[in-house]
Amino acid sequence: MSFRLSRALAVYRKDLLDLRKNRGLLWSMLALPLVIVVTPLGLVMAYVRNPTDPGLKAIALYYDLTVDLTNVARFLIDKVLADWFVIYLVMPVFVPILISSHAVAGEKEKRTLEPLLASPVTPLELVVGKSLASLVPSVLICTLAFVLLCVGVDIVAWPVAKELILPNSMWSFGVFVIAPLFAFFGNGVAVLISARVGDSRLAQQLAGLMVLPLIGLAAGQFGGWLKAGAGYYAIIGGVVLLLDVVIVVAARRLFDRERLMTRWG
Amino acid sequence: MQGIRVEGLKKCFGARTAVEGLTFDVAPGEVFGLLGPNGAGKTTTVRMLTGLLTPTEGRATICGVELPLRSDDEGVKLRRQVGLLTEQPGLYDRLSARENLEFFMRLNEVDEPKAWKLATSLLERFDLAGREDEPVGGFSKGMRQKLAIVRALVHSPEVVFLDEPTSGLDPQSGRVVRDAIAELAREGRTMVLCSHNLHEVERLCSRVAVIKNRLRTVASLVELRKEGLALDLMVDGDAAAWVPALAKLPFTVGHHVEGSRLRVLLDKEEQSPDVIACVVSAGARVHSAQRAARPLEEAYLELVREDAEAA
Repeated sequence: MSFRLSRALAVYRKDLLDLRKNRGLLWSMLALPLVIVVTPLGLVMAYVRNPTDPGLKAIALYYDLTVDLTNVARFLIDKVLADWFVIYLVMPVFVPILISSHAVAGEKEKRTLEPLLASPVTPLELVVGKSLASLVPSVLICTLAFVLLCVGVDIVAWPVAKELILPNSMWSFGVFVIAPLFAFFGNGVAVLISARVGDSRLAQQLAGLMVLPLIGLAAGQFGGWLKAGAGYYAIIGGVVLLLDVVIVVAARRLFDRERLMTRWG
Repeated sequence: MQGIRVEGLKKCFGARTAVEGLTFDVAPGEVFGLLGPNGAGKTTTVRMLTGLLTPTEGRATICGVELPLRSDDEGVKLRRQVGLLTEQPGLYDRLSARENLEFFMRLNEVDEPKAWKLATSLLERFDLAGREDEPVGGFSKGMRQKLAIVRALVHSPEVVFLDEPTSGLDPQSGRVVRDAIAELAREGRTMVLCSHNLHEVERLCSRVAVIKNRLRTVASLVELRKEGLALDLMVDGDAAAWVPALAKLPFTVGHHVEGSRLRVLLDKEEQSPDVIACVVSAGARVHSAQRAARPLEEAYLELVREDAEAA
C-alpha cells in the first residue's frame, strides 16, 4: 500500500485547522476533562476538610477492614485516586470519538469526500492523517488534565499527606502508556463506525457506547467488588492493546477508495 | 499529452448495472460532453475514470494510466494528472479560500509558489481576488463554485472532469468560466464536461457521448444535428393553427411550435418544398422559410426517448 507522510500530514494539518475553528466542538471536548479533574478534587477536599470525621472511618472500613484508622483521610484519598483512573480513561476514549466522528463522517456530510478521494491521497494516508488529528489533541488534553489533577490534588491534599501524592507510578504509567492505547482504540472505533454509518452524530452515539465497560468497571471499584491498582490497570491496558491490533487489521481491510466512496460518498 | 480511451466500460453495484457498454475516445485539446438524464450513469462514469470506482468490466486509459488500476501508485499517478469538479463544490466551510487551496496543493505535492501563481491568476479571472482569506462558509453559491473550479485546476491537470461547471453562476461568471474552459482546451488539456445545460454543451463541446445506463451514441455536434433536418416557417398568427395541415403530407414529419414559428423536422432535404406547399395551400401566409440545423436539445431528447421506448 502506497504511503507518503507528507500527504498524511496535509490531512492532519487541515483537520487540526478545522478543529481549531470549530468552537462548538472545542468546548464540548474541554467539558469532559474539566469534570474529570474537578470531581476527584472535590472528593479529596471533602476528606481533607474533616479528616477525623467518624463517617470517613466507616467508609474506609467498608473498603478495607485492616485500614490504619489513625489516617483514614489519606487512605481514602489514595483509594479515590486509584479508582478514579478508570473514569479518567473515559477521556482518552471519548475525546477521539468526538473528533474522529466529526472529521471522518463529517467529510460525507459536507460533501468534501469526493474531491478529497479524487486527489492523490491514499486511503491509508487519509486514515493516518485523520487519526493523528484526533489522537494528538486527545493525548494533549489528557496530559494537560493529568497535570492539572496532579497540581490540584497535591495542593488540596497537602495538609493531610504532607508529601506529593501525584504523579505516582500507577498514574504515570496509566497516563503515558494506557491512555494513548485507549485513545487509539476510541479513534479506531469511531473511524470504523463512521465508515459504516457515514453520519457523524450516529457515529458518535455508537462509538460512545465504548465507554460503557469503563463505567461498569468504575461501578465495580466504587462498590468495592473490584480492587484497582497497577496490575489491574496493566491487564486492562493489555486487553485494549489486543483490541487496537484488531482495529488496525479491520481498518486495513475496510479502507479502500471504492468502499469509502460508496459508503461515505 | 495523452487523452482518454475507454473500451467497453461497465459498472455494477450488486445486481444493478449503473452503466455499461461505454466506448469512446477524447483527444487532448478537446472539450467532450457527457450527456444523459439524471441517474443515467454520468457520475459513475466520471468516478470510474478518476479511479474512485473500479470498473466491473472493460478498460480505459487516462493520460497513459490504465484502468482498472493495478496498484495504489498507479492511482496516485492518475489522480495527479486529473482534475475533478464535483457536482457539489465540496469545500471546507470553516477554512478560508487560501487554506482550501493550500490543502489540495499539498495533497498534490505541487511546487507551491508555481501553483499559487496559477491559482492567483484564476482567482483574479473569477473575481475572487482579495477574498482569499475569508472563510468559505460566507461565500455565495457562485463564489463557491468558482473556487471549486480553481481547486480542480491548481495542480495543472492534463485531464479535467467538470460536472455542471456553470451551475449557480450568474451569466457573466458563466461566460468567464466557459472562456476559461475553452482556453484550457486550447492549451492542450483534455476536458470532459457533464452538463444538463445543452446550450453550454453546444457552445463548448466538439463531440458528445449520450448515456442512459448504456452508451446511446458518440458523435460530433454537427453529426448529431445532421441526423435530422429542420425547416423553420415564419407564419402569420399562431403557427399551431397549421399543424393539422401537416397530416395531409404523404410522409410523416415531426414539428415544434413557438409563437408564429413552425419548425418541421424532416427526414430528407427534398421534403422542404412539399411542406411549404402544404402549409400555404392550407391558407397560411408564410413570411419566410429557412432550413435550420436541428437543435442539440431535440437530438438529445430523441436519443433518450428512443432508449426509453426500446426499454
